[in-house]
Amino acid sequence: MTGKGAKSAATVERSGWHSSNANTIAAWAVFLFLILPSLVVIPMSFGDSDEFVFPPQGLSTYLYEKYFFDDAWMETTRQSIVVAVLSTLTCLFFGVTAAYGLVRGTFPGKRLVTLFLLTPMFVPVIVIALGLYMYFATLGLSGTTFSIVVGHTLHGTPFVIVLCMAALRHVDPNLEAAARVMGAGRIHTLIKVTLPLLKPALVASALFAFLISFDEVVIAWFLTTIDTQTLPVKMYSSIQWEVSPVLAAVSTLLTFLAFVICVAGVLVQKEDTPETTQ
Amino acid sequence: MAFVVPFLAFSAAVFLLPLLMIVGYSFSGEGFTFGHYEEFFASTLYPRVLWTTIEVSLATAALTLLLAYPVAYYLARQPPRRRALMALFLLLPFYTSILVKSFAFMVFLGYQGVANTTIRLAFGPEAGLEMMFNRFGVYVGLTHNYLPYMVFPILVSLLAQNPVLRRAAEIMGAGPWRIFWRITFPLSMPGILAGVLLTVILTLGQFITPALLGGRKDLMIANLVDFHIKESLDWGMASTIAVILMLIASTFMVLLARVRGGQVFGQERIAA
Repeated sequence: MTGKGAKSAATVERSGWHSSNANTIAAWAVFLFLILPSLVVIPMSFGDSDEFVFPPQGLSTYLYEKYFFDDAWMETTRQSIVVAVLSTLTCLFFGVTAAYGLVRGTFPGKRLVTLFLLTPMFVPVIVIALGLYMYFATLGLSGTTFSIVVGHTLHGTPFVIVLCMAALRHVDPNLEAAARVMGAGRIHTLIKVTLPLLKPALVASALFAFLISFDEVVIAWFLTTIDTQTLPVKMYSSIQWEVSPVLAAVSTLLTFLAFVICVAGVLVQKEDTPETTQ
Repeated sequence: MAFVVPFLAFSAAVFLLPLLMIVGYSFSGEGFTFGHYEEFFASTLYPRVLWTTIEVSLATAALTLLLAYPVAYYLARQPPRRRALMALFLLLPFYTSILVKSFAFMVFLGYQGVANTTIRLAFGPEAGLEMMFNRFGVYVGLTHNYLPYMVFPILVSLLAQNPVLRRAAEIMGAGPWRIFWRITFPLSMPGILAGVLLTVILTLGQFITPALLGGRKDLMIANLVDFHIKESLDWGMASTIAVILMLIASTFMVLLARVRGGQVFGQERIAA
């Protein structure tokens, strides 16, 4: 995408795409911007002092020790894991059943129901958080782990539905029909035939639902109290009060988690569609 | 139908009811009243914050589009395997917690931060730029956060184009610029619109980035909801703000639904 003068650098490829150095440079500059947070946080997490020193002086695991030997950080981490595991299970249950009903079922108002079930994705999270906060306060369930799991389930399930609906469309309905003809019931067919075929999408959904809950801060910020706060809530409040270097260690661990889940997700889906050429 | 019931019931109980509760509280007072809405529009604070929110959302979408298009174009012309590998540059930040990203930019942009330390090394101890606790910091954080949401829909619409169109134009003697502006760009419009609308909708409700990277003048509407719940305990006003936010966001959602909906969910295919 350079000017006409730069003909030497600009060529039109066989696919008709126009390749130019300017485009390459722009793209890599944005790639650099995209990974900038990791480039900042990872070196800093191996620093050896409670002050921010840039560039970091010594190399040590001091900040990681501070994180792992601190009861408050460990307690919130444990809480985040509990909430994320429970939310993942409920997201999978609601997501898979809903996706199955929406793809295979025929009933009046299906389009409207689909729209309604996916709406939580597009409603600002702050609105969901406010609504749940007032709702659970009225019910006398403020600050419970239950309320956070409900919030994260509502937040994560639409993503699971989208992933599973896409995968279900690739499952041949005749396989299910065959099982039904041979006398398997609906639920039996779902468990024995459909779910095994959906395995890659289920793994991807589980990973995604776990990460959504584990990283979620706005709903948790509204619904938790000091006794039930999750890791992101503790991070958010400590970033607001003092920017402590131990946050660099926590951030690096979260980046690592994101990286593992992201690569696992890509690998799982690759396995799903071996014939994919795009 | 039966399979849809569990989540339908769940949504009705913990999504629809709380939403109705918000609407109800926004009209609460002594009986049914528009008092909170009158207070909202009569004050100087609320309309100003509302305007900031809209301005920041539109500007973020524009900035993100500017950065995202070259990336989408670059990815589109890569061979599939390399494209999948490069998509990791977008997927990693997409999957990373917004707190991690905000914290990193606080460290990077702060007065004692990485960027300013480098500037001082180059230009002497007096140098330095105010890049955080102001609008600039908010734009850096938001643009970074929404880049993947913009690149993927555009990439999908670029890959969906028939290469024969571009080849034909080339054979007919059109130059690269002409091909781009007459064919590639117009055909990628659905992707651009989906990305822009998605970014606007998500930014309208943003709360973490302005709280951490912005200054007092950069407060957005979601920060006011937070204030009314955590500080002033005013459910009525918090609900009113939420309703107004919802109305604005749903205007953009209607537009998004009109752009081919499937474009938004194209990410998985590229990652595969």
